Amino acid sequence: MGEMSTNLAAWNVAALRLEDYLRAHRVHDRERLLHLNLDLLDAAHRAHATSPDRPPLEITMELATLRVEAWFSKLAGDSASPDPSLAARGRAAWFASGLHREWPTAFLDPEPSLELLSAARSVSMQAGPALEFSSLLRTEMDYGPMEDIAGGTWQQFSWGHVLRAFFIWVFIFFVAYGAYLTFFASQ
Amino acid sequence: MKFRRATDLPREAVSLRQALFLATGGGITIAGAWMLYDIYRDNGISTLEGILLALFVVLFGQIAFGFSIAFWGFVKRLFGERFQIMDTIKEADESQPLGSTAIVMPVYNEDAARIFRGLENMLISLRATGHSDAFDFFILSDSNQPDSWIDEECAWVSLCSRLQAYGRVFYRKRRVSLHGKSGNIADFCRRWGKRYRYMIILDADSVMAGETFVRLARAMDANPQVGLIQTAPQIVRGTSVFQRIIQFSTHTLGPIFAAGSNFWHLAGANYWGHNAIIRLQPFMEHCVLPELPGVTAADRHILSHDTVEAALMQQAGYQVWFANDEPGSYEEGPPNLTESLKRDRRWCQGNLQHFWFLLAPKTGFTNRIHIFFGLMAYLSAPLLVVFIVLNAIDFYWKQKYAMLSSQFAYAEGAWVTSLLLLGLTLLLLFAAKIFGLLYTLPRARKFGGVFSLFIGSAIEAISSILLAPIMLYFYTKFVLLTLLGLRVNWKTQNRSDSTIPFGQALREYGEVTLLGIAVAAATLYWMPVLTLWLSPLLAGWLLAIPLVMLTSSDRVGKWLLRHKLLLIPDEEQVPDILQNLDVPPPALVRPETLENVPHYGVLQALLAPFANSVHISLLRRSRVRAKHKEDYLDALATRLLSEGPEALNRREIMALLWSADALTNLHRRIWRMSEGELHPWWRYAMHHYNEAYSSRSLR
Repeated sequence: MGEMSTNLAAWNVAALRLEDYLRAHRVHDRERLLHLNLDLLDAAHRAHATSPDRPPLEITMELATLRVEAWFSKLAGDSASPDPSLAARGRAAWFASGLHREWPTAFLDPEPSLELLSAARSVSMQAGPALEFSSLLRTEMDYGPMEDIAGGTWQQFSWGHVLRAFFIWVFIFFVAYGAYLTFFASQ
Repeated sequence: MKFRRATDLPREAVSLRQALFLATGGGITIAGAWMLYDIYRDNGISTLEGILLALFVVLFGQIAFGFSIAFWGFVKRLFGERFQIMDTIKEADESQPLGSTAIVMPVYNEDAARIFRGLENMLISLRATGHSDAFDFFILSDSNQPDSWIDEECAWVSLCSRLQAYGRVFYRKRRVSLHGKSGNIADFCRRWGKRYRYMIILDADSVMAGETFVRLARAMDANPQVGLIQTAPQIVRGTSVFQRIIQFSTHTLGPIFAAGSNFWHLAGANYWGHNAIIRLQPFMEHCVLPELPGVTAADRHILSHDTVEAALMQQAGYQVWFANDEPGSYEEGPPNLTESLKRDRRWCQGNLQHFWFLLAPKTGFTNRIHIFFGLMAYLSAPLLVVFIVLNAIDFYWKQKYAMLSSQFAYAEGAWVTSLLLLGLTLLLLFAAKIFGLLYTLPRARKFGGVFSLFIGSAIEAISSILLAPIMLYFYTKFVLLTLLGLRVNWKTQNRSDSTIPFGQALREYGEVTLLGIAVAAATLYWMPVLTLWLSPLLAGWLLAIPLVMLTSSDRVGKWLLRHKLLLIPDEEQVPDILQNLDVPPPALVRPETLENVPHYGVLQALLAPFANSVHISLLRRSRVRAKHKEDYLDALATRLLSEGPEALNRREIMALLWSADALTNLHRRIWRMSEGELHPWWRYAMHHYNEAYSSRSLR
């Protein structure tokens, strides 16, 4: 009894996650949502029967994500198997062009209509037009005599020199001050 | 002769105007210097007085040339300007197709909602002109905050989908943000520059009317020897007191200074880095930024590119014009003094670098003047501090010895001259404001009426008097920091959150108040009379904290608007192009429960199928698979899910976001993992995300 209720709770968690996942794909049609839920859960149950050690959530969501990716791959490029790049393009087109609103019952349809396919494939999210490379050559600039003066200064100047000079003068100061205290201050 | 083409500009007119401009500024400077010399000479000029005189010439000269611009601007406003580059359009053949133009907007972590609303308005406005086919928009992103990046992508896709703008509006994200904004534009030129004849550069907060885009392209078509046209963007949409003061000032004084600038430089204008059109071919051939003399790569990189590009364009033989009267060009101002100073610190470093071009043999005359004014905008602050300190020392000694000997007492005539000089200085300082007020008076109705206009001008004048000493302190600090070689990064301007609370004001301006107290105490103790003379300076320093808080207030800003104070015409009747800029695009509307959740972009990129797929589709998949890289990203992904986004730093999150494979896997994993395996942050995010979408889908 205890094992059965644990099992039931696990399947409930899986069912809820699946519903959330489908809703995140903006499946607005209630009937379609229920149908897909049942269909995927049924497939998950069958898969669980062959590997009972795997948690229902993992099996259900693996099936769901793979089926979704495969469907979007087909939508974007007629690919027989799930292809991550194509799936991303198909999914982006699905949302970006409002196809989910135009075809509310088409989501995960094994045979999407030709209109849907052509609408999905017509969306081209170009980051830019075709490249036409140019080489930009840095402008040579004559800064006049100041550049030579500054260049000379930089070549001779270093913070190391400044620090060394500073410490030498501090040393000289303390020596002189010591000498003053020793020989003159007491008088 | 009628001004039909830019080439019609007579050389004599340019020379005469520049002579008039220089004579006005120079003449007043000489007069002022003579008056001070007259004050000093009675007792013979000491070394200290000699130094003071030299400093006076530099500082007074700046005021005098400012006056010269305002004066000639006022004259031009009264009598009209003959040489306006946009007037050449009248003669252009409007049946000719427009030159292809890329409208580019480099962005860097700015508010994506505002950027894309502005873009949407511009696109709609451009389509209404019937010439939109000649224009393409490019958002060139250098954003390095994950949330900004994801928001930009979602907003871009949403905009393109809603307005059917794919292939017209492009979004490019640079992987390596080399050389900031100028590097971003150079990257655009390298990739697509050849495809376009012109490029219009916008800032993230710029908005331009479609008609203005068309007119700018038309003006370039009509004048092949013009390389660049800079518009005078109006500052609008101010909510805080600070923004309202700036926008009021740019609407009343701006036109005077703009007309005055155009008067003296004509075809030798400056470039402000945005809201301008550029001829691409010469820009790519001649305006690639040179390296500055310097030891390190950072020293050699030019930070403030615009002035240099204008100079290079003119060196290449092209004219640079200022379309000072062209309407439909807008931008927004910084919301408070802190944000304004952040921008100034960047500009200060950039302007000081321009010193190299000031003395470069090939720099043009007008460019040298632009560069000199740019330098002096910041250098004058430490010079003024030195001037004030030396003057105080001079005054102290004179006061001390006057008691002992009559030798150092001023002659009676010297006091008169001193008062005259003071009067002249005040007149020069306030002349522009008077000209601006006189120019605006006939249009007072658009500014809320005559009474509102006067009160607004008074508020503007008082606030500029009080804010100037605070800026003096910070400009001096910026110059010193820059000269000490401390770097300034390209920081985002925060234009949304304006109000500065007491704690922040105390942290940022406490030192200014302390300085005010110290100087007031010192002068009261040693030279009480000087305290009176320094009172405007001391008032600004002592009131710095409440002043900064007050000017940053949105509430007071709204109160002013309700009472039609500091009103501008665009607030009386908001143009279509500025409508709804605060309404976020649909793709960026957050569910209420996730309104203030940090890392919302990361949440979207992992969890939301839309954001995840858009982001992945825009990434280039790596063809080379490196095992160590995959392991590294896998470890980051595991940490992200099990320890939450706070466990990763920005660079690590960006590394994941740059990998299409990692993102694909993360999206799968997060949906497959049980709640127990996820960090509480993800549980919270997932719960609210799903709740928002389930309630929406049921509607």
